Amino acid sequence: MSTLANQRGAAFLREVGRALTALVIALIVALIVIFVTSADPGKAFSTLASAPLSSNRTMGLWIDDVAKLTLTGLAFSLVFQARQFSMGVQGQVYVGGLFAAFVAMSPLGATPFAIPLGMLAGMLAGAVYGFVPGYAKARFGASEIVSSLMLNYIAILVVNYLIRAHLAPAGSGQLMTAKFPDAAIFPAIIPGTRFDLGIAIALVATVIVWFLLYRTNWGLKLRLVGHNPKFAEYAGIRASFVMVSAMTVAGSLGGLLGSVFVQGRAFGNLAQNFDGNLAFEGILIAIVARSRPLAVPFVALAYGYLRQGAQLMGIRTDVPTEMIAVVQAIIILLVASSFSLPGKALFKRLLGQSPASAASAEAAK
Amino acid sequence: MAAVLEAISIGKTYPGGTVANDGVNLSVAAGEVHAVVGENGAGKSTLMKILFGIEQPDKGELRLEGKPISFANPREAIDNGIGMVFQHFSLVPSFSVYENVVLGSEPRNGVRFDREKAIAQVRALSEKFRLHVDPLPAVGDLPVGQQQRVEILKALYRDARILILDEPTAVLAPQEVEELFVAVRALVEQGRTVIFIAHKLPEVLEISNRITVMRGGKTVGQVNTKDVTEDSLATMMVGREIALRVDRAAGRGDVACEIKALKITSDTGSTIAEDLNLQVHAGEILGLVGVEGNGQAELLEAVAGLRDVADGAIYLNGESLRPLSVIERRARGLASIPEDRLARGLAAGASIAENMVATRLADRRYVRHGLLDLNAIKANAQALIERFSIRAGGPAFAVGTLSGGNMQKVVVARELAEQPKLLLVNQPTRGVDLGATQFIWKSLTKARDGGAAVLLSSADLSELLALSDRLVVFYRGRIVAAFHNSDDLTPETLGTYMLGLNTQEPETMRAALQ
Repeated sequence: MSTLANQRGAAFLREVGRALTALVIALIVALIVIFVTSADPGKAFSTLASAPLSSNRTMGLWIDDVAKLTLTGLAFSLVFQARQFSMGVQGQVYVGGLFAAFVAMSPLGATPFAIPLGMLAGMLAGAVYGFVPGYAKARFGASEIVSSLMLNYIAILVVNYLIRAHLAPAGSGQLMTAKFPDAAIFPAIIPGTRFDLGIAIALVATVIVWFLLYRTNWGLKLRLVGHNPKFAEYAGIRASFVMVSAMTVAGSLGGLLGSVFVQGRAFGNLAQNFDGNLAFEGILIAIVARSRPLAVPFVALAYGYLRQGAQLMGIRTDVPTEMIAVVQAIIILLVASSFSLPGKALFKRLLGQSPASAASAEAAK
Repeated sequence: MAAVLEAISIGKTYPGGTVANDGVNLSVAAGEVHAVVGENGAGKSTLMKILFGIEQPDKGELRLEGKPISFANPREAIDNGIGMVFQHFSLVPSFSVYENVVLGSEPRNGVRFDREKAIAQVRALSEKFRLHVDPLPAVGDLPVGQQQRVEILKALYRDARILILDEPTAVLAPQEVEELFVAVRALVEQGRTVIFIAHKLPEVLEISNRITVMRGGKTVGQVNTKDVTEDSLATMMVGREIALRVDRAAGRGDVACEIKALKITSDTGSTIAEDLNLQVHAGEILGLVGVEGNGQAELLEAVAGLRDVADGAIYLNGESLRPLSVIERRARGLASIPEDRLARGLAAGASIAENMVATRLADRRYVRHGLLDLNAIKANAQALIERFSIRAGGPAFAVGTLSGGNMQKVVVARELAEQPKLLLVNQPTRGVDLGATQFIWKSLTKARDGGAAVLLSSADLSELLALSDRLVVFYRGRIVAAFHNSDDLTPETLGTYMLGLNTQEPETMRAALQ
């Protein structure tokens, strides 16, 4: 069994090395972009690299992002493991946020039930919204990529319309609802920051998704369908049920993220375009984490740091925030193309017959 | 005869540490057919990839006509007159034959593709080497044997003097093999050299002049074909005496599976097979003979519940299977070893343990209240790995890391973990080495002796003849002949029915169908 531990350890280190190398290469490119665009590159880069840690407030911003990135990363990981390419997390976030807001703005919003009921309402709405493209695919063969993307637009535009026309306080001209009652907003873990219940929810969700995928019958079926749908069919697994249920459960995670958005301390109300396109960054998180739920929070931690650093750099220096999109694209390219670590061949030559390859040759016998 | 191509103490270790070649020597004389035989994993493919420039050796050297040479890529090998035909063709199905042949080195007329010239060249080549390929039809419409000859034409068009054929007969019917051999002999007559990689020893003995035997990444020896027999070759390949004979069934039981007037249509509504009537008894193996694509595979899929049936009935021990789902059929004792282990029989990325339990997810031993019993799943895998001597690091290893033979053993272990009542088997030993073949055959006869009714389909006629108690021949979706197996039954006899050249009297057939 020690060979197995070695093999797993080696695979783990390889993946971590890959992710870190991608990060370093992306940072080097970021550095070049900063040098090209900034009058004071030194300050810009140090802002990017250290700003998230500069105060309790910025650390709160960072952790808040980590929580949200973790949830969207989990939702994408779940559908990716079933080899479904549903892009619907954004739409689920909007409908989830909307229904959580309904709870918060109803008479229930002032009671102690406001938080759990808001989360539940968000999850249910998200689940329904995740079910639709899954059902459409299973029943009519509609591509889940197209249908989920279209549903995103519907959700965003309907929510935005409802806010402007009905939910914003009349005559205020605001594009957001009034603040929810305190009972409906997540309590802060560190007072005065955005460090709130969201991160706890995200971590619990991580464990639940891991448990579902690796300890339940449903999770094994889901992964088998993802590995090889024809094999699943041959083994008597109902692939379409698994597919639809995976998209539904992922939808509930998206809806939960919606509730975390609107009920979190960052907002505490329902605003137009509230997700700031964060939902889509779950794709990057899931790809870098190789759809492994337990890796998702760590990737979110690193990526959230970069994201906050870039935003603060955008505010405090003359470098545009958009350049984080460049960094993001480079990470996706590097990780998704499964590049091999540069210099590996050189390393091997330096070491001669490396101990690792000798061990695996032993295992191959 | 002078050596035209030599490989001298070639060594190749793959990243990850697999030693594929270790001190391999090969000396191919001009104008001969040189066979390279060995079990899967013996290093044949790696050696060929090195000869063709796909892989570079870590040690040793290649010599072409006595001069040291190295190929950085296949293009350089082609430029030096080496051509290769892979087991899996690289053809564009929607392109015509001549377009495929010239693709990448088209004759030009200014900047225009000179189609007339291309067609004429391809036709001339085809005639010169007796390949009998029409340059005009689309490759996708051609049978496999013809497609293979298009691949050979591709190499010849690029002036290959040395042609490497990688397991060329694996996909062919006996008559097609004969046609291929005619072409190979024509090539040699015209001064070309052929390196022939193969599994099936009778074919090697028929076509080759000399044979190099490989085992475990090393060359065991080089022999003249006329000096060896099938048995002595097999012993060289495996390194020990092996018996490729199996015991016939002692006696059969009652009818277990009955198929009546079965009709199978494709998704587009065209008929794939019709009027299929079969009875399989408990404790017998019924061989389904036919060139691939004549309905045998579809019949097995229909019985397994993976394909809709247009008409007719399937009974297992008196119960109709048609209304039952896959999992319900499995619960009634159906087991199935599918044609393509990677496409259908396994999830390569999942662990061995997960693969071995995948068909039993309704079983309370492994799943309770929706939760997996990981200990039971692991113990099950551990037990099966031992029982079926699967060479693997452990239950948690991904199936994709195993060799072909061990992957197939995972499938066989899962399906035969419990004694089945009806066992469907399609190509059980395709691409599997001799040692594993012998083991899989034993497992099948053991299941038969345990009372299973077995439906066996295989492209390898010697396998069907070795294992089956009765055989039925499929041609164009119908059963055209049936036989009780005996020593008098030969592959050639079966071949005439497989290709529709011969028909059987209805009475004879009916007698053998019982």
